[in-house]
Amino acid sequence: MSNNHTYQPGSVLVLVGTKRGLFLLNSRDREIWNVEAAGLPGHRVYHAILDQRDGRRLFAADNGDFFGVFLRYSDDFGQSWHEPEQGIQFPESSGLKLNNIWVIEPGRPGEPGTVYAGVDPASLWISTDGGVTWNFNAGLADHPTRERWEPGAGGLCLHTIIPDPSNASRMWIGISAVGCMRTDDAGRSWVFANKNTRADFSPIKYPEFGQCIHRLVQHPTRPDVLYQQNHCGIYKTTNAGEDWIDIQQDLPSQFGFPIALDVHQPDTVFVVVEDPDGRNNVGKQFTIYRTENGGEQWQPLTKGLPGGSGVRLGVLRHAMCTDTNDPCGVYVGTNTGQLFASHDRGDSWQLIADFLPPIYSVTAAVLV
Amino acid sequence: MDLPVTIPNATVSLPNALRARAGNRRTVVVNGSTIREIIAALDHDFPGLRFNLCYETGELRSYVNIFLDRENIRYLDGLDTPVRNGATIHILQSVAGG
Repeated sequence: MSNNHTYQPGSVLVLVGTKRGLFLLNSRDREIWNVEAAGLPGHRVYHAILDQRDGRRLFAADNGDFFGVFLRYSDDFGQSWHEPEQGIQFPESSGLKLNNIWVIEPGRPGEPGTVYAGVDPASLWISTDGGVTWNFNAGLADHPTRERWEPGAGGLCLHTIIPDPSNASRMWIGISAVGCMRTDDAGRSWVFANKNTRADFSPIKYPEFGQCIHRLVQHPTRPDVLYQQNHCGIYKTTNAGEDWIDIQQDLPSQFGFPIALDVHQPDTVFVVVEDPDGRNNVGKQFTIYRTENGGEQWQPLTKGLPGGSGVRLGVLRHAMCTDTNDPCGVYVGTNTGQLFASHDRGDSWQLIADFLPPIYSVTAAVLV
Repeated sequence: MDLPVTIPNATVSLPNALRARAGNRRTVVVNGSTIREIIAALDHDFPGLRFNLCYETGELRSYVNIFLDRENIRYLDGLDTPVRNGATIHILQSVAGG
């Protein structure tokens, strides 16, 4: 189990959700890492995140194989876990079954008790007491198009939640395969925000909804700017999702899952693109791509990353993140259990953990 | 005059994964005339246990098996299977995988 005595303020804690439990990696210098199992052995942890707005509370999406799906939280870095008093469970009358919890997102800095969660079947859940009790958002559940929403390969999953720090009434969510949605009235109503994003798998290439968004991130100082990695391209919006610009440029594939951003140089964005059939690196070299000008050009990053005819690495939607140091760290986990890290904005990489179970999610926190 | 009604009691054997919720006990004794009532009694004594066994809709989870004595209730009357006094009930996870 983890030992929080070693977790010093200023050190980086990387939370790795895997097919078989949660792991924590800690480093003071981002070169030497200590790897520890943090409980939930045997459980599919789709996402885990540390909320430091009021103490240190670790949340995990525990999608058990047999005995149900639970959001859990820990105040001692995984030594002990708690279930909410009123957890994420649909009302019996809804006829819905909770399949998986996909994402847990702490709320805005000014609302320290508020935590959001996204699940399959697509719904948004809110806690205002630090995760102890949960309720679902009725505005999304009652959306007039809901009966026509179709799942992606991973299910009808709400996998991305972005509460706008500049506007308490505005939030974006990503649902596969529905697309990007936005509320401007604190969740009472939701509009689609998919204009100019493609659905190549559909007879209608530019539908109002039905796009397979894979991941969405927001610019930290220009809140109307967001980037998304989609099943069918990489896009940028400068108007809060009113329309999107294709920024794939010369990337070797339009298909990929994760996207992450450097908060200190927020025109710097990282993606991993994949062969859409094999769902692994394009060609023989595992490559992370970086743009430093908001998607006008992309640069392949390979120093320290493996290559060769035996290299077939895939990265899932939540398995790449950055930390908030400057220069930022970048962390990439593979679906075969390798975790790569860069402490210099992607210029160079090292393997910091191997032989982990398949990695579903990677999040990083600089401990305060 | 109404005759007294005796609600059967049953011994329920829990799998490893659920014992923590029941105070680390391997077996517990609860009352119920059907498997559904047994599950309700388990949830009363150990809150949250019903959600381990059943979806929100009330159906038994796909990878949970409940045996009444030696019979899988899926091949009896499911959750409405009657329980006799002194029965033994085993809750098991499915053999899922290779």
